Amino acid sequence: MPTIQARGLTKRFGRDVLAVDHLDFDAIPGGVTGFLGPNGAGKTTTLRMLLGLVTPTSGSVLIDGHRYRDLPNPTTRVGAVLEASGFHPARTARNHLKVIATMAGLPFRRVDECLDLVGLSEAGDRAVGGFSMGMRQRLELARAMLGKPDVLVLDEPANGLDPQGIAWLRDFLKLYASEGAAERDGGRIVIVSSHLLSEAQLIVDDVVVLTGGRLAAQGRLQDLLAGSKRSVRVRTPDAERLIQALHDAKLPAAARDGYVVCEGGTPEAVGPIMVENRIEVHEMVSSTESLESLFFALTGGEGMQLGHAAGPTGDYRRFNDGPPASPAASSEAPASAGPIGGQ
Amino acid sequence: MFGLLKAEIRKLWTIWSTYVLFGIVVLIDLAFGFGLALAPGGRHGGSAGIVPHGSSQWFVNVFSVLDVSRILALVLGAIIITGEYRHKTVTPTFLAEPRRGRVVMAKLGVGFGSGVVLGALTMLTGLVLGFVLVALKVHSCMTPFGVSQGMSQALCGVRHGAYYVATTHNMWHDWWRIAPGVALGTGLFAIYGLGLGALLKNQIVAIVVGLVFTLIVEAIIGAIWPTIGEYLPGQAATALEDAARTNFGGGTTQLLPWWGGAAMLLVYGIALAFLGTFTTLRSDIT
Repeated sequence: MPTIQARGLTKRFGRDVLAVDHLDFDAIPGGVTGFLGPNGAGKTTTLRMLLGLVTPTSGSVLIDGHRYRDLPNPTTRVGAVLEASGFHPARTARNHLKVIATMAGLPFRRVDECLDLVGLSEAGDRAVGGFSMGMRQRLELARAMLGKPDVLVLDEPANGLDPQGIAWLRDFLKLYASEGAAERDGGRIVIVSSHLLSEAQLIVDDVVVLTGGRLAAQGRLQDLLAGSKRSVRVRTPDAERLIQALHDAKLPAAARDGYVVCEGGTPEAVGPIMVENRIEVHEMVSSTESLESLFFALTGGEGMQLGHAAGPTGDYRRFNDGPPASPAASSEAPASAGPIGGQ
Repeated sequence: MFGLLKAEIRKLWTIWSTYVLFGIVVLIDLAFGFGLALAPGGRHGGSAGIVPHGSSQWFVNVFSVLDVSRILALVLGAIIITGEYRHKTVTPTFLAEPRRGRVVMAKLGVGFGSGVVLGALTMLTGLVLGFVLVALKVHSCMTPFGVSQGMSQALCGVRHGAYYVATTHNMWHDWWRIAPGVALGTGLFAIYGLGLGALLKNQIVAIVVGLVFTLIVEAIIGAIWPTIGEYLPGQAATALEDAARTNFGGGTTQLLPWWGGAAMLLVYGIALAFLGTFTTLRSDIT
């Protein structure tokens, strides 16, 4: 049963940039662990330290108690799908995998199996230079799977995949993680980093939330969401009166985006107040907190790129717009959310 | 380690640029060789004037230009390591073998082997060139344009038969005095290029620095301070060619003994690669 443990993991780039700051986390086998955080939160740096590509300034991240570079044949233990990983444009996909298989002492049979797994059998003898982004991403996954690893690390795997590709990847990761549980005790570890929360919410079982290189939260997604708040949004021509009425009833209320939002309110509480005050209602929506709003609460509303299904309200906000859940944060400059944004 | 060596060979021979590089070497060899053979006088003929066609000195001159291929071995060596950074294949490489020193060692081994193959290809090209040049000379009297008939044609045949035997003898002799040295020098120059690549990491920078130093800086230093010049990579590689000591340029160039040249080149390559491994290659792959 594999384990991944980070203790006091710290990475400083130069003098000014503290990318990861005394990070402690555990990745739990048998499920998918989501590494979530805004751009520059230290997700990629953390994963690259796990994989021995970046040397920690201090602290450690260990796989089964070993550093990655001390694993005898890491290809057979850990598979990695990385964003900035490269391909020689003139080399064919099959040869690309054969090179890695040769390094790891794996039979070429695995190359064909993995090409088949990701649906690149047909394209296997084409030069990677002509591959689309999604094909390259799948080839990366094929490379990661060569050694039948029991730890799979994926950095922003959904990037470049079309909706079908993302759906396929989601099923694949779920199956991969659970398959391991059947094969051996405890199962496999899958770590997926993502800034697409709506996407992550569908895949992950556990979350590690990073912000400014620090751990903001860790735990089972369900547990984290269980204690979450509810809110009610109302569209009305009498916004000011409603806000006043809600305030009189000791409920928080604020006007936002043409709606009156009542944090922590329920329709049962808000409805009678509106009737009592004879306030005209055009629309009323009740929502529980999603991973997204939880995330904003945890990270203090740093700049965040939203996924295709944008949040519980379904309305679309631009990159770096203020978060809906914490109006105070929108007065801060979200653009400054960098590796040291949380400090 | 065996797997790493095989993987490096596979990396090299699964991209077309390697084949192009080897093709360029053959083309350059042929162009330089023919150019020199057909030009009056030779590269090292210098003040001695025109060297007679087919003489031993003539063949030494023709073959000695073939060591230009070591420049391309330097490029090959540099590409072997900097190509990984350029195309970011260094990430999957170091994921599969995180002990980076071992990767560099495998690259040094394969770089040396490929350089030797490149040198051997060069000398084969030289041999073909030599035979073609001899055949051209012999053929010139046999052509219909010569209008030699009967007795005169027989005489021509005997005369040129003798010429053929004598010149090919010279050719073989000189080829053996140069070929092994060029092949070894080319192999070692690939290691030198690899060392430069490991230290400089950037492909263009490594190649430009290597070429400028070898073709310009070394020539200047060699001309001003020959005692220093003989220890520099280019002269060290020339020292590997047996004929260089006795036949090139009438003793104006100072050269190390062949083993000294080989040792110097090896020191350059290994030292640079070692430095590169402990500086550049240890750095983070982001």
